Amino acid sequence: MTTTSRHGRRRAALVSALLVLLALLSLPGGSAQAVPSEGLQCETSPSNSFTLTATSGYILTPDGNSIFMWGYAGASGAFQLPGPTLCVNQGATVTVTLRNLLREPVSIAFPGQTGVQADGQPAQPVLSGGRITSLVKPAAASGGTVTYSFTASRPGTFLYESGTDVAKQVQMGLYGALVVRPVVAGTPQPARAYASADTAFDPQHEYLHLLSEIDPVLHLAVERRRSFNLGAYAARYFLINGRSMPDTIAPNNAAWLPAQPYGSTIHIKPKDASHPLPALIRYLNVSSATYPFHPHGNDQRVVGRDGNPLVTGSTDISFEKFLVDIGPGQTADTTLFWTDEEQWAPGTNEIPVDLPPLQDQIVTGDTWFSESPYLGHTGELPAGVTSSNECGEYYHVAHSHALQQATNFGAAFGGMMTLIRIDPPAGCPGATP
Amino acid sequence: MTSDEIRPEPARALDRRTLIKGGLGLLAGGLALEELARGARAVAAPPRAVALPMAAPTGSATQQLHLAATDGWASLPAATPRAPFWPDPLAPPGYDVYVFGFRDVTSVPANLVVNERGKAQICAPVLGFDQYDPAATTGATLEERSNAVRITLSNLGLSVRPDLTDGHTIHWHGFTNAIPLFDGVPELSISVPIGREFTYYYRPHEPGTYMYHCHFEDVEHVQMGMTGVVYVRPLRNTPTQKFAYDAASTAYDREFAFMLTELWVESHYRDAHIQTTDWTDFKPSFWLLNGRAFPDTLKPSTDPLTTDQTSDSGANLRYNPVSSLVAANVSERVLLRLANLGYQHHAMTLDGIPMRVIAKDASPLVDTSRDLSFETNTVEIGPGESRDVIITMPSTVTPDSGKPYQAFRLYDRNYAYLNNGGDAGYGGQMTEVRLFPAGTPTSAHGLTA
Repeated sequence: MTTTSRHGRRRAALVSALLVLLALLSLPGGSAQAVPSEGLQCETSPSNSFTLTATSGYILTPDGNSIFMWGYAGASGAFQLPGPTLCVNQGATVTVTLRNLLREPVSIAFPGQTGVQADGQPAQPVLSGGRITSLVKPAAASGGTVTYSFTASRPGTFLYESGTDVAKQVQMGLYGALVVRPVVAGTPQPARAYASADTAFDPQHEYLHLLSEIDPVLHLAVERRRSFNLGAYAARYFLINGRSMPDTIAPNNAAWLPAQPYGSTIHIKPKDASHPLPALIRYLNVSSATYPFHPHGNDQRVVGRDGNPLVTGSTDISFEKFLVDIGPGQTADTTLFWTDEEQWAPGTNEIPVDLPPLQDQIVTGDTWFSESPYLGHTGELPAGVTSSNECGEYYHVAHSHALQQATNFGAAFGGMMTLIRIDPPAGCPGATP
Repeated sequence: MTSDEIRPEPARALDRRTLIKGGLGLLAGGLALEELARGARAVAAPPRAVALPMAAPTGSATQQLHLAATDGWASLPAATPRAPFWPDPLAPPGYDVYVFGFRDVTSVPANLVVNERGKAQICAPVLGFDQYDPAATTGATLEERSNAVRITLSNLGLSVRPDLTDGHTIHWHGFTNAIPLFDGVPELSISVPIGREFTYYYRPHEPGTYMYHCHFEDVEHVQMGMTGVVYVRPLRNTPTQKFAYDAASTAYDREFAFMLTELWVESHYRDAHIQTTDWTDFKPSFWLLNGRAFPDTLKPSTDPLTTDQTSDSGANLRYNPVSSLVAANVSERVLLRLANLGYQHHAMTLDGIPMRVIAKDASPLVDTSRDLSFETNTVEIGPGESRDVIITMPSTVTPDSGKPYQAFRLYDRNYAYLNNGGDAGYGGQMTEVRLFPAGTPTSAHGLTA
């Protein structure tokens, strides 16, 4: 079992990749600072056998808070949020051994999977005195283990999450994503979301958006072993892949976010003959709220929901949306293109309006604007402005449109938000893809 | 703010010729969209013969308009006071809640635009444009021929909060293949400082129902009221037949637009009183259709520029100018353009008339290869989503007692949102669909005062 970065692997030569892997395995926490990267980062296993360790740790929020969490640690054994993204091929027999280091029983449910077994028996709710104590067999507190297995019979994007004391334990962070890749006529299809060629995507541009939220008061109560009334629940932090904006746009495995390894920046180029395939975004909502997620820049095509391709018979029932609305426990797979429709260019095809002089614009102190309307071009910034723009690439936001969720404890331009970066067709010197 | 800042406007020397010359694709009054949607090449009369920033696009004009962003005071229906937050003690007589908003100032002479400072409206003007047509041959320049859209945004500042230097932007929510400069996200492009302006430029390639809002401090500015519907009419429209999208089955006779929002009076009070809000405490107290709560939703559209200070619609609702009343004659097909810029999910239900959902998020569910449209009696719509719904009016009418029409209720099926300020009785996102006998002229539909 290894933790690899899709993009890191693609960029690195074989030898250096092996060195990186060795470094990964030797580093406590499995962090991979040496491989800043973006996009979906899989944990894979040749035997499709995984060990997840329920443990505790802290995550950092952009406003300086640190929050006590529970989580499923992957191969490294170190706490992380969310749990590792497990990637398997359709048809695989998946075995997940849960090792529980928490002080109460914890389990893993696999919503969307059928025929799940727990320690060799059908995974069923556990009853005590006629009451449900767990939706699936748990691992005993403080060191217990349980092994779940199932056949990943259909491709798609799925959650895994605690099935025990669910309102508290899932809120505490016991969740992660499971990606099942289609197999067509015995051949794995890592560049398709589902069996159909209509769901082909560019495998270098595959992204995870695992959506969740946090009430820090509940977490403090759990940390201090106090009771908490769920009726008083009030979410204050809103996360993509366990991070809030602007941490969401930090690279995978950023050193300054040691327990939050997954970024969510989408990084593409305009659709053209050299880039004919869309990006794929796998959305999952592990919370108890419905999130209206709005990617700016262009519509996204919803090609699958809850591990089901949007096809009926031979009819393609996929649809385009400028807002991907995802209910509790639901997943959605979308494809994204951005086309340089107007081909604005300085000198030859200029925008028909004037960019105001610098003193007549507001540019935020930290900006992603190039101070040019044109893709691949930059202009002079106002004094005192720091721009993260590298080469005139475009940026769009993608965020929850329940706008109080696009905040960090109420502070705007935060929370459940990330960026969509569009590089010029020729690329950005020094930038990934 | 003192009440004299909402003083009557001087009478305007605008006539119909001026309005048509302006070539607006704009409807500040919002309701009688059918007057505006006669097709891409139709020359329609202004809905009213008074000086209004309302006009239909002409075939040859560019689609050009001027919006101003500012603050102001609006009016909600009577409800149990929520002291000290609502009614706001700072509000001028007749008004009760502090708002931010966009105003249409296209018809206002440039040197008088600044007079609209402190006169925001909720919701923002309903905007309707024709689809971009690069192949059009009529008109001197590509700009004129093609239905390219220019919206100039002026930031007039905040009359109640001179301590704030907030910028404003226009984000056309859902615009396909946008470039950042015209997308209106301050951190990714520019925003407009107080006393300055910027012209947003669009080529609306895709017909459908979209929305627009300010993206500066978005959670605040959107809640404060800077939200509006913008829609694009397909090129296949003719002067005699309108379509929502390219498919023939999206044909309709009349259309109406609805901006769904919520209003959290505590946050509006805090903005007026120099206090801060934790937006994650969001807990609205009013639920609005086009900036009004029932029963105000039934009242005719008004005009922020009116000089009428006495009638109900001329005074209190002057800055909530957009009606939500729906009216049509028997057997007509009516398009309802629904857009939600609140932070909550809504479920609009219509008693007695089935609804056919023909598009979501400006993407048609029906085209040449498939028909995924569906009938329902409740249309779910999440924050930031739009729906296009066609209803076919019943073929016979049984007028309500004492009325020339039969009324059907359109309302949010989330009953928790169907009140004003938590009071008993009906309020919030509710309006009527009024069925009139065949041949009833639009002027008798009660849509305008």
